[in-house]
Amino acid sequence: MALNGIQIFKLTPKKNCKECGCPTCMAFSMKVAQGAMQIDQCPHMSDEAIASLSEATAPPMKTIKIGTGSEEFTLGGETVLFRHEKTFVSKPRYAVSLCTGMDDATVEAKLAEIPKVDYDRIGERMYAELVYVNCMEGADAAAYTALVEKAAGLGRTLVLGCKDPETAKAALAVCKDSKPVLNGADASNYEAMNAVATEAGVVLGVSGKDINELYDTTAALEKLGNKNLVLDVTGADVKETFANAVMVRRAALKDQDRTFGYPSIVNLAKLAKGDHHLQAALASVFTMKYGSIIVMEQMTYAEALPLYGLRQNVFTDPQKPMKVEPGIYPLNGADENSLVVTTVDFALTYFVVSGELERSGVPLNLVINDAGGLSVLTSWAAGKFSGNSISKFIIENVEPKVKCRKLVIPGKVAVLKGDLEAKLPGWEIIVGPREAVQLVKFLKDMQ
Amino acid sequence: MTLFESVFAGNDAVYGLTEGAINQAIEQYGADKAVSFPNTAYSLPCYYAVTGTKISTLAELKEGLGVLKSLMTREKRTHDVFMSGVATALCAEFIEVLKYIDGATPYEEPCYGHLADAAIRELGVPLVTGDIPGVAVIIGKAASAEEAATLVKSYQSQGILVTLVGDIIDQLAEVNYKTGANVRVIPLGKDITAVIHVVSVALRAALIFGNVTPGDAATLMEYTMKRVPAFVNAFAPLNDVIVACGAGAIALGFPVITNQPDVARVPKSLICQTDVSKWNATSLEARDIKIKITNIDIPVAFASAFEGEIIRRKDMQVEFDGSRVDCAELVQTCDPSEVEDHKITVVGPEVDEMAEGSKNSIAYVVKVAGKNMQADFEPVIERKFHNYINCIEGVYHTGQRDMQRIRISHDAFNAGFRAKHLGEVLYAQVKNEFDAVVDKCEVVIYTDPAECTRVRHEVAIPIFEKRDERLDTLTDESVDVYYSCILCQAFSPSHVCVVTPERLGLCGAVSWLDAKATHQLDPNGPCQVITKERPIDENLGAYEDVDEAVQKLSQGALEHVTLYSIMQDPMTSCGCFECICGIEPFSNGVVIANREYAGMTPLGMTFPEMASMTGGGVQTPGFMGHGKHFISSKKFMKAEGGIERIVWMPKELKEFVADRLNATAKELYGIDNFTDMIGDETIAEDPETLVGFLTEKGHPALGLEPMM
Amino acid sequence: MPFNHKPQKFNAKINTVTIGSGDKTVTFGGDSTFPFYSFDAPAENTPKVGVEISDMGLEGFSAGIKAYYEGAETMGDIAKKAAAMEGADFLALTLEGGDPNGANKSIDELLAVVKEVAEAVDCPLVVEGCKNVEKDAELLPKVCEVLQGRNVLILSEKEENYKAIGAAAGLAYDQIVGAESAVDINLAKQLNVVTTQLGVNAQKIVMNIGSAAVGYGYEYVVSTMDRIKGAALSQNDNMLQMPIITPVSTETWGVKEAMASEADMPEWGSQDERGIDMEIMTAAADLAAGSDAVILRHPQSVATISKMIKALA
Repeated sequence: MALNGIQIFKLTPKKNCKECGCPTCMAFSMKVAQGAMQIDQCPHMSDEAIASLSEATAPPMKTIKIGTGSEEFTLGGETVLFRHEKTFVSKPRYAVSLCTGMDDATVEAKLAEIPKVDYDRIGERMYAELVYVNCMEGADAAAYTALVEKAAGLGRTLVLGCKDPETAKAALAVCKDSKPVLNGADASNYEAMNAVATEAGVVLGVSGKDINELYDTTAALEKLGNKNLVLDVTGADVKETFANAVMVRRAALKDQDRTFGYPSIVNLAKLAKGDHHLQAALASVFTMKYGSIIVMEQMTYAEALPLYGLRQNVFTDPQKPMKVEPGIYPLNGADENSLVVTTVDFALTYFVVSGELERSGVPLNLVINDAGGLSVLTSWAAGKFSGNSISKFIIENVEPKVKCRKLVIPGKVAVLKGDLEAKLPGWEIIVGPREAVQLVKFLKDMQ
Repeated sequence: MTLFESVFAGNDAVYGLTEGAINQAIEQYGADKAVSFPNTAYSLPCYYAVTGTKISTLAELKEGLGVLKSLMTREKRTHDVFMSGVATALCAEFIEVLKYIDGATPYEEPCYGHLADAAIRELGVPLVTGDIPGVAVIIGKAASAEEAATLVKSYQSQGILVTLVGDIIDQLAEVNYKTGANVRVIPLGKDITAVIHVVSVALRAALIFGNVTPGDAATLMEYTMKRVPAFVNAFAPLNDVIVACGAGAIALGFPVITNQPDVARVPKSLICQTDVSKWNATSLEARDIKIKITNIDIPVAFASAFEGEIIRRKDMQVEFDGSRVDCAELVQTCDPSEVEDHKITVVGPEVDEMAEGSKNSIAYVVKVAGKNMQADFEPVIERKFHNYINCIEGVYHTGQRDMQRIRISHDAFNAGFRAKHLGEVLYAQVKNEFDAVVDKCEVVIYTDPAECTRVRHEVAIPIFEKRDERLDTLTDESVDVYYSCILCQAFSPSHVCVVTPERLGLCGAVSWLDAKATHQLDPNGPCQVITKERPIDENLGAYEDVDEAVQKLSQGALEHVTLYSIMQDPMTSCGCFECICGIEPFSNGVVIANREYAGMTPLGMTFPEMASMTGGGVQTPGFMGHGKHFISSKKFMKAEGGIERIVWMPKELKEFVADRLNATAKELYGIDNFTDMIGDETIAEDPETLVGFLTEKGHPALGLEPMM
Repeated sequence: MPFNHKPQKFNAKINTVTIGSGDKTVTFGGDSTFPFYSFDAPAENTPKVGVEISDMGLEGFSAGIKAYYEGAETMGDIAKKAAAMEGADFLALTLEGGDPNGANKSIDELLAVVKEVAEAVDCPLVVEGCKNVEKDAELLPKVCEVLQGRNVLILSEKEENYKAIGAAAGLAYDQIVGAESAVDINLAKQLNVVTTQLGVNAQKIVMNIGSAAVGYGYEYVVSTMDRIKGAALSQNDNMLQMPIITPVSTETWGVKEAMASEADMPEWGSQDERGIDMEIMTAAADLAAGSDAVILRHPQSVATISKMIKALA
């Protein structure tokens, strides 16, 4: 059971030395309780205190890092099974798969296709972060290494799917500095694979013919001292894979079974080979339920647009809503003479409102205020979407750029009309509808 | 003649007629002859609903007569009267069904007679939704055709379904009054027995919409009583047969209103109202029917879009200003007899008699009455006046109680807006939004300056003082229940606020009275009753009832919550808290930060940092979100010693709560000017300096037991 | 020490609600585990897939969907083709043309469509209103009346019009009530409470707890479903044990990702593919979170989701 801040505080030296970076021991203790800091960041903690606290404050699921530099990703570290219980911390990462069974032309086409999907969505870069390079059984080590080298050329972090220790060693020789994952340990080879992975300093992926074997092999690897693991939960079919993914995560978080406290790999390229639509459906399911690395045969815009949207939604902090950048967003070919419409920066509000505005076809300038990422009524109640804040933003940012002096405000803050009229001389303040769905009609009627 | 005698005599007479008619029919057609009403699966509907037995032949009808006879007991008890009334109604059904033998069509335009099942399904939906707020059954002959038409029109304009029996049908025809199901005026038939066709509608509605099992007479009558808002209007003269039928109506829960002066009265059930023009109001009140107001009768628009409109001096026709002259706004709970619904009176000059640009007095008293109305709801209703009046196009309102200011614009005035229209708006909005508690509403608007002075000083201010006194004396111990509030669960799923008189919601916006009113107005809504019958530890404010409620309302995420401790199972926060208090271990006390405060606290944490671990419905011992007003409460962290634990607050907050907090400190501990001992950001932003300051001031927290 | 699998057993289950008549019926709900957790307890039933058609015919449908319906001239033809789609369990007719802010078709016009569709097919039916609460309050009771005996699911009864639609569907005409709320567990529960207080049998209610396309505030959908299933199973809250139906297509085909033409967004590739994946991925997420039935439009989506359900169940 996790300790609360007060319990941790009791074990601190209570000196307020500030050496940990926090102004007080109390502040430090609360951060440790939240998981934002580690107990050993306190230089004055006694060894007994650290020992007794580390066990209690150690996360049930390990945080594993793969890749380097800008391509470094954090997997795992989750503490809850459902996002409403607290928050999910590490989003799944998607891998596009290459295989030694592909002919050169296919490989070239894949390599050309992967970088095409690379875009920004609410401040987050969206692209296939990983490339999975699969080595078919019996494939030639040189051929595999050549394929790995080609894949490495993309600059993405690699996951090597290879069960032969010698081949793996050869492949790692050309890419280990970029910290790939070596996904290849199983009951038959784990000792040798462990040696290869440890030597190269990379994360090792473990699999098993069923969940029990996966468990035993993981335990055996831990016994060898390797706790830098990911678990390939891919089973014989979709059903078994889903069961594995859920049971592994649940054992770790709910039943405190640390052996399964590792991130997972789900290989859809294997489960639904050739069926891109089924892979899309399953990618969605495993994004929701407990995939950490999800391997697919392709990531075109058709897959990426919904999948990254889903991931961005599910992996937001429930207490910190997504925000869009404040600014002027011209819609439907608006220019400086087009109507000005304003709302808050809460991402959901922005999406719903901008969607309806686009549907109306009316050219207009959507002005997004900084409202702390809250919805219209909440931000209004908190004083973050007020006559002052709106007028300040309009005068500083909109007046220099837009000539139109008509401003539509959300119907829910009709109460701001008078205040805005006083603070924005020369502007006509128009009260819009209360709900976004009424915008199309409202704008049509206005014309 | 007593009511008993009258009902029994009428019942006997009808029974005799029915028996004769059935015997004659058997003679004519034979006992095996089929009898039924057309287009119903429930023939004979009333008899089937009451007894659970279907009748399809004359022989069965004859047997049924025996069953009816068994209902006709003759003890002088109300039960016997009701059962005889039911028996009379069922006799009427037997007589009516004989008219339909051989597929006959006994009723002709404009009369309907029996109504098909399909019509009931169609009428049933608006009845359930309240689109048809009631069903009037009008029997007999009005004094004149005009009187008949006026009465019918009054119901029709309220959306009430009108059914007609007897001579009134001809009277309406005389003045070419349009009738028919499409206009919700349904002439049934001219014989008194035709009344059974509307009873048949009510009983089939119970079978179809209420899932009542045929033969379960008790449930049937409970359903009609609770869910079928019908009533009877019977014109004098009444004969025994009509009185007996009326007893049947009363048995089903339908009150009877008549102008027969010598009728034996039964409170709420058999009512004499000799003035037919008052039948509408009397009937609605007796049957507890409320009419939704869909249209506010004012010459300008009414919408939330006008809420933020400001009327500037140059655009202003007149203003009313409580800060300069005597004004007041007040809701007063009255006895129903003292309130005439929708009466609006202006005492004093109207707006067109006031000089343009002038400053005037105004006092409006909204008198309300209702079975569920409580004086505690008065301020809750009153607080909405600001919003109501502001939503009027061209009218602006600020302030409350006796300090309100209202401006009416030139445009609104020129459109015809007057003071009386304020009454229309208040009437309509109060009736609509508070229909769960307000049955009747009347508005008196005083513009006469002397009257305003009187109302303000002799009526309003004493009431306001009484209310404030009640608020001050309202303690957690003095009430029987607390309320939950889960308004914030949309974004904080496991958070449950427990609102008590001395601990308002942590957002600062929901007091115990608000929660109580919210619960009364919307019983399935966000505020639910929490009992406090099983205390575990009164000092902590731990109750089994409270624990059960939070477990249920948080879907199991929370198990225990105490009301008065920040160390043991403190109440959770959604994130809306006005303030957060947190334990400061070096001084044995707590630090409070308010949302507006942007700086550092002696805890080494800012408000946002404290908020990040207190919000979201999690329990963080040592930290708790709360409202500003809770700081001066005697229940503030009572389990840990109360407000003398407070060691630091931002200056602005300290000044805001100073008067009340000092008063509480004086009362609880005899400390004068307690806030002078409390640190703020100008004194200390770190624990060491703070402790130095507290030591110098002799702050009591330093001498208390450690909190952990 | 071997892996110790601890099944999560609940002493509660989701209600089963059957729609359709005769031998053409389909049943929603019945499970006592989180979605597809058949390793905790055997699955009683599998989620179902419906095909959406509209009174507006093929207007607004994507090229790929139109291609599937090629040759269908009447609403009856469209209904027959939709019902024949591979993987389809039921048909969902939306009466969007009734929206006063849209085509504003008259109630009689819409009822004619309802009758035509009902006569053309004998499969289980869901009828969705026009989204305007006032119009639906008039329209849907009439739909209930003309479909008497078909045991259809009527979407959507909302807080604003629950009396009219609840009473008509649940009491007067013996259909199934579809209670729609806006992505909030308490609103969903409150609507079920007031609907049952009208006298509607709780076993005759299906919930639409609201939806969104993935990427569009979808986190609220996930958390609301997670919490509803959690409360229904672990708290045995019988006012949340109604099966959940989610109209997916109405959300997903209206977002930019599905609507932007290839001319406007050349790098995004095939518009039809984008629409299909948007629909598939949203539906898959809905099912993983707790929907007992989803309503889709594209034949490829229907086939894929049906295949996915078989693979997972």
